[in-house]
Amino acid sequence: MNQRKSKIQVRDLSKHFGSLVVLDQMNFDIYDGEFLCIVGPTGCGKTTFCNVVTSLLPCTKGAVTLESEPIDFKKHNVSFVFQEPSCLPWRTVWDNVKIGLEIKGYPKKEIRERVSEVLDLTGLTRFKDFFPNAISAGMKQRVGIARAFVTEPDMLLMDEPFGQLDTSTRFHIENSLVQLWQKKKQTVIFVTHNLEEAVYLSERILVCTQKPTKIKKEVYVGHLDHPRNIADPEFVKIRREVTDLVRWW
Amino acid sequence: MEGRKEQLKSVFYNLLSIAVAAVFWSLFSAWQQSPFFPSIAQIWKAFIGLITVGDIEGIGLFSHIWASLIRIFAGFAAACVLGIPLGLAMGLWPKLYKRTRAIIEPIRFIPPIAWIPMAIVMLVGFSRYAFLIWLGAFFPIFITTLLSVTRVNPLHVNVVKVFGAKRSYIIRKIVIPSVLPDIATGMRVGLGIAWMCIVAAEMIGGEMVGIGRLILKYAELIRMGEIIVGMLIIGVIGFIMNEIFIIIEARIFRWRSEVSID
Ligand SMILES: Nc1ncnc2c1ncn2[C@@H]1O[C@H](COP(=O)(O)OP(=O)(O)OP(=O)(O)O)[C@@H](O)[C@H]1O
Ligand SMILES: [Mg+2]
Repeated sequence: MNQRKSKIQVRDLSKHFGSLVVLDQMNFDIYDGEFLCIVGPTGCGKTTFCNVVTSLLPCTKGAVTLESEPIDFKKHNVSFVFQEPSCLPWRTVWDNVKIGLEIKGYPKKEIRERVSEVLDLTGLTRFKDFFPNAISAGMKQRVGIARAFVTEPDMLLMDEPFGQLDTSTRFHIENSLVQLWQKKKQTVIFVTHNLEEAVYLSERILVCTQKPTKIKKEVYVGHLDHPRNIADPEFVKIRREVTDLVRWW
Repeated sequence: MEGRKEQLKSVFYNLLSIAVAAVFWSLFSAWQQSPFFPSIAQIWKAFIGLITVGDIEGIGLFSHIWASLIRIFAGFAAACVLGIPLGLAMGLWPKLYKRTRAIIEPIRFIPPIAWIPMAIVMLVGFSRYAFLIWLGAFFPIFITTLLSVTRVNPLHVNVVKVFGAKRSYIIRKIVIPSVLPDIATGMRVGLGIAWMCIVAAEMIGGEMVGIGRLILKYAELIRMGEIIVGMLIIGVIGFIMNEIFIIIEARIFRWRSEVSID
């Protein structure tokens, strides 16, 4: 695992909000093309971590670099699925999904093709002309996912993206995510509360502690082939291991 | 969307409330038996007189209305043209506001009427009207624009930042659409206040035409019928403009959810 090329370098990273220490001297690498899951207790700083990694929030100490330089959205192709619903209310579903391509200056024809493809994938085609105030919470979440997928990013951050989805939609999109990842091998940082989901999707799971947050343990899952079988003994064993780690939060 | 039946009901109840107000006024005026409280028939007569013969100087009612409308629109348009860009600029560069608020904020609290002497010595003719109306309309428009910029959802900004959006894109495609509904509300409030300033403005404009002027003329003669006609016309035109505004807003801001708390 360690001979893989490092994509993101997290060095001595700390984030304080006033006197509240949220991230406490974290040190790790995220590898190129890796599917990384982050699990941790609620309020431990997972969202904060995503925001700091992308430099949407400044860090207090330390540094995060992408291929040894500070992250630059104009240069690096990044997508972020936010935990909170983040549809732009004045744009229809279609226009919300296309916004990344619009900013990056893709030709109209390609935008049309890509958007309709990704709307199909997320099951939103029927609702493409709806404004966000007329769709359900789960659909809004899917708009966020579609918007992030459509730019085919090199780095994809997903902050509890499937919380509002029913099991079948969730499976469907999880599988699409894995297929997309297998095809493009982008770097994925995936935050979740759902341990089974973490074991099902990722190559490596970072289990975080309570605030001040450090990494409690790394769990490797990369040796399991996709699509994974949740009844497979090895799968069950890893899930139990992670659950045990989490029990002592 | 309201049902057709609901719409008819609301029209009916609105007409009913007007009728109730009219009945109360009639009873009151019948009880008082005073020229200060003319009956509805007398008010109507004054109205017809103003339309057919005109006022004491022979100026017709519609000339008055037209003159006031033009003044209102001039002052209101000036308030929009200055208030919206200035509000946007100060919202986007908060330091601009922080460093000038000691001069801006106090002006906001000086009522337009207090500006009358100043307007008389500084300005002449049409600009006096426009200035006083501008004073009334400017601050609601400016302040709501300024505040709405600071309330743009940072998450929406982050959405496009992550895709590499430049500052100009963020302003055009996130800030502007976010603040437009608030600006529209500010404009609606500003237009209301513009109307409220019309009498003050026409006190000093010099010309004998305008709805405010009409009221002042008949105030000197203590003829309440015509005064009430003038008051009602200001109210009704303000109401119609407000309704038009609301209809346009509902059209443009289709994406907004309507909030109802019952
Ligand atoms: N802007 C802020 N100012 C002050 N404190 C903050 C701010 N943002 C987050 N925090 C604090 O940082 C901590 C971590 O918050 P964060 O949202 O990162 O948690 P999380 O791990 O994403 O939780 P969840 O799983 O519930 O989404 C919390 O204790 C929160 O109160
Ligand atoms: Mg979170």
